[in-house]
Amino acid sequence: MTFRQFAYRNVVRNRRIYAAFFMASMFSVMVFFMYSMLMFHPKIDDEFLRESAVLGMIVAEVILYIFTLFFLFYSMSAFLQARSKEFGLLLQLGMEKKQLNKLIFFETMLIGVVSVTTGILFGYAFSKFFLMIVRELLQLESLPLYISFKPFALTMGAFFSLFVIIAMTSVVFIREQKIIELIRGYWKSDDLQSYSTIKAVGGIIMLLFSYAAAALTSINVVKALSIILPPIAALGTYYFFTHSVIFLHDQVRKRKFLYWHRFRLIAISEGAVKLRENARMYFIVTIVSTVAFLSVGTLTSLTSYTGQFRELNPLSLIYSSELTNPYESEHISLLRNELEEQGLSYNLVPFVIKQQTSSYSQYKVNILQESDVNGLAMALGLPLIELLPGNGMLIPYSEESIDTLEDQEIQTVLEESNLPVQINGVYPQMLFPSMIIGSNIIVLSDEDYQLITEPLTGRTNMTSSFKFFAFHVAQWERTKSIGLEIDTQVTDAIYKENFSNLPFYFENPGLNYSIIQATFSLLLFTGLMVAAVLLLAAGSFIYFKLYTGLERDKRQFNVLKRMGLTDQELIKIVNRQLIPQFFLPWGVAMLHSAFSFLSLQVIWHNLAEISILGDMILVLVGFTSIQVVYYFLIRWRYIAHVRAS
Amino acid sequence: MTHRAINQLSFEVKKGEFVAVMGPSGSGKTTLLNLISTIDSATSGTIKIDGLSPDEMSKTELALFRRRQLGFVFQDFNLLQMLTVEENLVLPLTLDGHRIAEMKRRVMDLAKKLGLEQILEKRPNEISGGQAQRTAIGRALIHQPAIILADEPTGNLDSKASRDVLELLVKVNQEQKTTILMVTHDPIAASYCDRVVFIKDGEFFNEIYSDDRRQTFFQRILNVLSLLGGNVNDLSTIRLP
Repeated sequence: MTFRQFAYRNVVRNRRIYAAFFMASMFSVMVFFMYSMLMFHPKIDDEFLRESAVLGMIVAEVILYIFTLFFLFYSMSAFLQARSKEFGLLLQLGMEKKQLNKLIFFETMLIGVVSVTTGILFGYAFSKFFLMIVRELLQLESLPLYISFKPFALTMGAFFSLFVIIAMTSVVFIREQKIIELIRGYWKSDDLQSYSTIKAVGGIIMLLFSYAAAALTSINVVKALSIILPPIAALGTYYFFTHSVIFLHDQVRKRKFLYWHRFRLIAISEGAVKLRENARMYFIVTIVSTVAFLSVGTLTSLTSYTGQFRELNPLSLIYSSELTNPYESEHISLLRNELEEQGLSYNLVPFVIKQQTSSYSQYKVNILQESDVNGLAMALGLPLIELLPGNGMLIPYSEESIDTLEDQEIQTVLEESNLPVQINGVYPQMLFPSMIIGSNIIVLSDEDYQLITEPLTGRTNMTSSFKFFAFHVAQWERTKSIGLEIDTQVTDAIYKENFSNLPFYFENPGLNYSIIQATFSLLLFTGLMVAAVLLLAAGSFIYFKLYTGLERDKRQFNVLKRMGLTDQELIKIVNRQLIPQFFLPWGVAMLHSAFSFLSLQVIWHNLAEISILGDMILVLVGFTSIQVVYYFLIRWRYIAHVRAS
Repeated sequence: MTHRAINQLSFEVKKGEFVAVMGPSGSGKTTLLNLISTIDSATSGTIKIDGLSPDEMSKTELALFRRRQLGFVFQDFNLLQMLTVEENLVLPLTLDGHRIAEMKRRVMDLAKKLGLEQILEKRPNEISGGQAQRTAIGRALIHQPAIILADEPTGNLDSKASRDVLELLVKVNQEQKTTILMVTHDPIAASYCDRVVFIKDGEFFNEIYSDDRRQTFFQRILNVLSLLGGNVNDLSTIRLP
């Protein structure tokens, strides 16, 4: 047996303990590789929307890289700690420190090489599938699998250097340790600190404070809170696991009628040991899971935005035009031709908006006539209105305005034409995308509308009115290629800040929708995969801790069985030990996420008047079921091991 | 070989001698052994092994010294679980970078002597305690060290396995002239030695030599132990079979 064979056998024969660790790093490499396949895709970089996709990939890769570095660093130090007795023995048998470093370096690099290689292999194997999904999401013509050295080089370069860093630095953990302390398992002792009541209570208070602040936040303070709260919550979580939990546990222990009750004695005392040993691991698992839940939740909330997009944008194409616009007929026939070419049936409702000054508010109001509104409502399948002369109705400019304007009763005079109007209530649905016409929109009866003859003060008749062409297309998702040419002109004008000189404006919600939807779903998809890596890593921490404690647990259950512990009782004890391991960090992470979502809801509500509750519940339920499955899987193996002893 | 441990403890072990160190719990037996093992260091005093002073060596020199001059046998065997019996045996040679052929030759030789031929491919959790301790002794012998340091080698074994292990140590001591220093609080184990050194509270208390009759030597050991006083429950009260 040569020295290398020795290192090799250490890893291969310890494969069960390395399994979860290896899985997590391999999966991370695999995801990283697939992202780089997309990033370097030759079909991608020259197209406009895909720039955001590439940017998203870069961000995701950086996050993955940093996280994997942290994960490997933590796992390696935990491994080395668990093996301290073995290292002490080797040193006593005459292994040089240099050789020990070499051994650890070699072992780490072995795992590194294997996980990078298998990760890339699996990554390449799944790349076709991955690119297919991305193609669907981005609605590209094709996104074929390709061969280039770039993704391979990037992934290998990144992860080999990462493993070299880990292999070199993890050695530090045993550098200054005395052999005799290694043999005694020096590190174990400092995990078993006792708690401080102040920190225990402080942890709980910090958490409660963060939750209360997150729940009661309003849009004015949410920004400041989003900076202050995470550190407080993180510190609170740390104290919660290292002090509060043990403190609470001790309170139970003091009440003997609770504690000395059948198998509870064992379950509770064992629980205490596990809680203390694993406090830091719980903390890390909680933080990692919270980050995963939050990122998926946030991205899902973006998708809620696309879901509600249609409600906010009932019209398919809108072309507005000043009366002096020379391109009007050219553009409208262009749009008609394109719709016909695509075989899309449409309903065109043209109308004119007149502007007057309201005596009530002294603001400019935009005025529609009843028959135009009804024409539009008919096309969209919305309720019709009936107005008597002298009466008017408000048209909502945003979803929220429907509620606030509902009970409005305003008496006003349209000053220029000296027309008195009684305005009652608001039209109950959105007719136009928000703000496209402006915020003050009223509809008058056709008779009154005809009476508006004077232009807005300071304007001529030609500049006081606007023409609108509203296209209703039933298959509105398919309009993304309609009017691209006009859209580009508008976008250019906005870009060059020349917008106010443009005599027309064009909006295609179908195009916007397809861009928003593609970007958001790509983001969500990317985020889901990163979250999967995070959760797998969190799971591997739990697995590792359980596995290193397995031998001791086996011995203990063996003694208990001889003392007459029944099989059912054994399972009950296992449950009571495993459930906290799995669900305590998970539960705290859930609470963290739930309260963060409350704050997120405030932001979203302000931004786009959207409710993310439904999606959030879905996300949390989804994660819960994964965790439950993982729990049963591990419990099954664990009980099998304990019984076999 | 001279030893000077903290509390004025000083004694010598001659080349080829089989010496036991006895004393009640907490008397400093294990500390003494750790000092000789060079994994712990004394605040003052010197240790000489085969004319060499470990105190004056650098860390690397110490490692080389341990793997060439010292052999260790532990109470709980301390075999590496992921290595087979054979691999555990050759581990000291692996650390020292010996050639494979050389390792093979020495393993075959040792396995025959120790009766391990049938279990060379087995892993430590598949063999009995006696076999595990014999493997550990093999690991301590394979590099032909100047001295074997044994810490309660029979502490985890039943009486039959204990006897096998002790007879093996005696055989190794007599046939290969290997020097052995054994810490124990089992008077039966001690009765296999040439000489027993008693310590109490880290200080030298007494020493007795064997007169070739194990039964009487055992009785004399028991006598000293009762003189030692302290907690008699620490000491084994079994009689020789």
